Amino acid sequence: MDRPTDTSIALLFASAERGDPASGSALFAALYTELHRIAQRELGRQGWGVSIGATSLLHEAYLDLSRKDADAFPDRNRFMGYAARVMRGLIVDYARNRQALKRGGQFELTALSTDALDVRVDDRELTRVSEAMDELADLEPDLAEVVDLKYFCGFSFEEIAAMKNLSERTVRRHWTKARAYLHTAIRDTALPM
Amino acid sequence: MGQNRRASWQSASPYLDTALDLPPEERARWLASLRSESPELAAQVERWLRECQAVEGDEFLEGAAEVEPARSALAGLQVGAYRLVEPIGHGGMGSVWMAERTDGRFEGKVAVKLLNAALVGRAGEERFAREGRILARLAHPQIAHLLDAGVSSIGQPYLVLEHVEGEEIDRYCDRRGLGVHDRVRLFLDVLAPVAHAHANLVVHRDLKPSNVLVTGSGQVKLLDFGIARLLDADDSAGRAPRLTREDDAVLTPAYAAPEQVSRGEVTTATDVYALGVLLYVLLTGRHPAGDALTSPAALLDSIVSVEPPKMSSVAPAAAARLLRGDLDTIVAQALRKEPGRRYQSVTVLADDLRRHLQHEPVSARADAYTYRAAKFVRRNRTATAMGAVAVVVLVGGVVATSWQAARAAAERDFAMRQLARAESMNDLNTFLLSDAAPHGRPFTAGELLNQAEALLNRQSAGTADDVTVESLISIGRQYRSQDEDANARRVLDRAYELALGLPPDRASTRAKAACALASALVRGDDVPRARALIDEALAAMPTDRTPVLDRVFCEQCASEVMMEAGEAERGIEHALTAERLAAASGLGSGLLKMTLAMDVAEAYRMAGRNAEASAAFEVAFARLTALGRERTEKAGTLLNNWGLARFLLGHPVEAEQMFRRAVDIASADGAGASVSPMLTLNLARTVIENGRAAEGLEMAERAVDDARKAGDQLVEVQSLLVRSAGNRELGHFSRSDELLAQFERVQKERGMPSDHIAFAALASERAAVALGRGDFSAAAAAADNAVAIAEASRQARDALPRMLLRRANVALAAGRMAVATTDATRALALEQAMSEPGSRTSRLGRCYLALGEAHRAEGRSAEARATLADAIAHLEPSLGADHVLTVRARELLAALRPG
Repeated sequence: MDRPTDTSIALLFASAERGDPASGSALFAALYTELHRIAQRELGRQGWGVSIGATSLLHEAYLDLSRKDADAFPDRNRFMGYAARVMRGLIVDYARNRQALKRGGQFELTALSTDALDVRVDDRELTRVSEAMDELADLEPDLAEVVDLKYFCGFSFEEIAAMKNLSERTVRRHWTKARAYLHTAIRDTALPM
Repeated sequence: MGQNRRASWQSASPYLDTALDLPPEERARWLASLRSESPELAAQVERWLRECQAVEGDEFLEGAAEVEPARSALAGLQVGAYRLVEPIGHGGMGSVWMAERTDGRFEGKVAVKLLNAALVGRAGEERFAREGRILARLAHPQIAHLLDAGVSSIGQPYLVLEHVEGEEIDRYCDRRGLGVHDRVRLFLDVLAPVAHAHANLVVHRDLKPSNVLVTGSGQVKLLDFGIARLLDADDSAGRAPRLTREDDAVLTPAYAAPEQVSRGEVTTATDVYALGVLLYVLLTGRHPAGDALTSPAALLDSIVSVEPPKMSSVAPAAAARLLRGDLDTIVAQALRKEPGRRYQSVTVLADDLRRHLQHEPVSARADAYTYRAAKFVRRNRTATAMGAVAVVVLVGGVVATSWQAARAAAERDFAMRQLARAESMNDLNTFLLSDAAPHGRPFTAGELLNQAEALLNRQSAGTADDVTVESLISIGRQYRSQDEDANARRVLDRAYELALGLPPDRASTRAKAACALASALVRGDDVPRARALIDEALAAMPTDRTPVLDRVFCEQCASEVMMEAGEAERGIEHALTAERLAAASGLGSGLLKMTLAMDVAEAYRMAGRNAEASAAFEVAFARLTALGRERTEKAGTLLNNWGLARFLLGHPVEAEQMFRRAVDIASADGAGASVSPMLTLNLARTVIENGRAAEGLEMAERAVDDARKAGDQLVEVQSLLVRSAGNRELGHFSRSDELLAQFERVQKERGMPSDHIAFAALASERAAVALGRGDFSAAAAAADNAVAIAEASRQARDALPRMLLRRANVALAAGRMAVATTDATRALALEQAMSEPGSRTSRLGRCYLALGEAHRAEGRSAEARATLADAIAHLEPSLGADHVLTVRARELLAALRPG
């Protein structure tokens, strides 16, 4: 896969913000690749047995991408919001992969091929959360974004509030509502053991 | 179900916002009013509110999808004398916490590293604590001080370290946009603490960016020194823990050295390798293994067997320009697969880098061409009898005192005889190990010598007595035996300077210093000065009062100097004198006698007196075997040189056995890559001579590959003739042509005069190729040329008969019997003059065979029968009964027998 250039990501960002759907998916793919690449780089630096926090990964990604051309690049908050969604994708893919491996599946690795992200959560649950998230994102994107930022990326309420220009109280409320919905959705669609 | 949920949400959500914002009392009222307006909607809102409340108290999605050490669990835990405050990191070995001391002693911030208890093991606890105390003595401003190590009351092993706040070095360089030279300068700051630790016999074992921090003020700090050693579950010397992911890997494979990966060996050379990787990463932004980094199996394979690409070929263009040349070479040397071929010490690496920054020539380039093949051929000197003295100095000063007490010559000789048992470097290592380094594998000899030198400086501080001089001589000699010529010269220079200040009754010490320096200088090409020193020394040695072993030493040095200066005959004289003196005195250990025998053998060989050389090698080998050292590297060298002598004398089957034994020894030594290409080529040549062209050719190709990798042009060029012969035997004549054309080109490029013996060899081989093709006239012309050059050349004593024989064989094939007979007769006469009386050689056998064939073709049957019988008598023992030539001789003879 070609490595997306910094300018191309910036452009994709701009047009995705304007609502162009094609740019949206292209941007997702580009960011996915970037995050993957950075995770590999970190792994290469530090060797095995190290966990890479999603937050630092995103910081690195933002720094990397914006370093070359700060002007062309969207501000950090908007970047984070979008990138958080990509991060969710990465983590879920990774969890799915682990699940498949445990079952002895021949799942081809599309996500990170090594334990770059130390995800300590039940894989099955994560998959279900992911499906429910798709649903929530459809209904209320703002709520889904808070979950992305808080749960999948590890940002604090304070940080999220700053990013989204909301009060912390509002963010907490979003968080509660989101969880309520997800919990219900998961319970309803729970597979028989 | 899903649809209901979604629909329900869509209607209820905005109301949910309101509800959640209200305090409970007001919320109830608000709900009631909603219920009265729209009961359906209220029901939905209530349902979702219940859900929200349930979720508030629940753990659902609480926390984040990434792991963090459970803060609540460990904070406040008492570990030894420290209490954990908050986590500051998460490493491969365990988690790291900021901690404070609780017993009243203030130490500022410390970092407590909690280790995986499984890594220490039950038996290891005590050793863990003890070793921790040893490591704690390693004090250097750039090493994060290990303050304490222990096992807590609940069995949790921990380390207490100085807390260092800094950025990992690679990130530091990137963030500040440092250029190549700035990075090298910063890297030099990394080398200083490593060198310090090595001097204290502590190896890091896990050097990598996360262990090399740079503080805000730009100071480098190294973490985790020697920590890996603490975690050896296995007590056997220096075995590293396994590197698999499953075991919660302790060491970082990305920075592991080949010997660590394949054999678990760790020495200072291992640290040098890791430093090489670090520098590579700093200068290119890339790991030497490149893409292999993503898979553990590929990475380990890459480390052990794949040569890393040059830095300049993977770095971005601007940097590549600066990296090309010296920096490429320096890093490549640090990254050699064989530990013995890397920089012998961190100090030398630092020197090279500094030299590069100052635009001075670096040593690494020279080392690329200096390696075992050259050692095989020319240098097989080792520590002489004086090697014992270094041991004396190092053992805590107690034995040194008794050495000093034994000043009288006789007593000194006695002491030397006692100590002479520990002469070789191996013994020195063992001796040192028992005291200086309680655990771990022997460090490189270079490190030990640095240590010895430092110790000597401390002990002698200022005094210039003969003990100091003797010790310096010994250390200098041992540097030489490790090919550290610059260090050797430096030390021996100093020894000589000091010796000049000794009183007259120490004349023999002064003479020894002069001799030792002379033999070091001659290696550096200062031949005139070296000879002057030798003359001075021999003149100054009072024969009556000089201890015999001192004189032996001087004669040995004299021999070396003469040989290096090209005066082989004088070299032989001195070597023989040394041997004679030692034998007559009854002193000197088995090792000394063996060394002297080897010196004699080498001297003869260099003078081309192969028969005497062979006899001397036999003596030397017998002594080696008596010492139980017939499988050492020295034995390998001896076998190679002896094999060469046997081959030149015409005993190729025997020579093959010797070469194979030498290969055996060399490959048992390391990972197969340590067999010198020169040796492989020697063996190849012999195998072809013995009639197995395909096997020999394959070996020769392998030798060339190895030689190319090591930059050994000598072997490459020599291989051309060997490979031509091999191809020729297999009928691949055009390939032979190519190789010979290349050989000719190279010799011309080197400016070899057209009457040089190399061209004779070329012409002779060309004749053989032409003969194989059936082109008699070309073969004859080439053979004539070969003979002409050989006859005119003064160097070619043993080449002329072979050239004549070649011409004889060409003539035989062309049916020109008169020429054949003349040449063969002449060749035979020359060979007989050169061979040991009564010996059965292939050289003589071939001559007899050619002559026999000529006689037979001329109808002189009786003569033919006698000659062929002689041929068989020589060919069978030297080439074997199944060799094509032996068989031919038998067939011809059988055809001539009456009836």
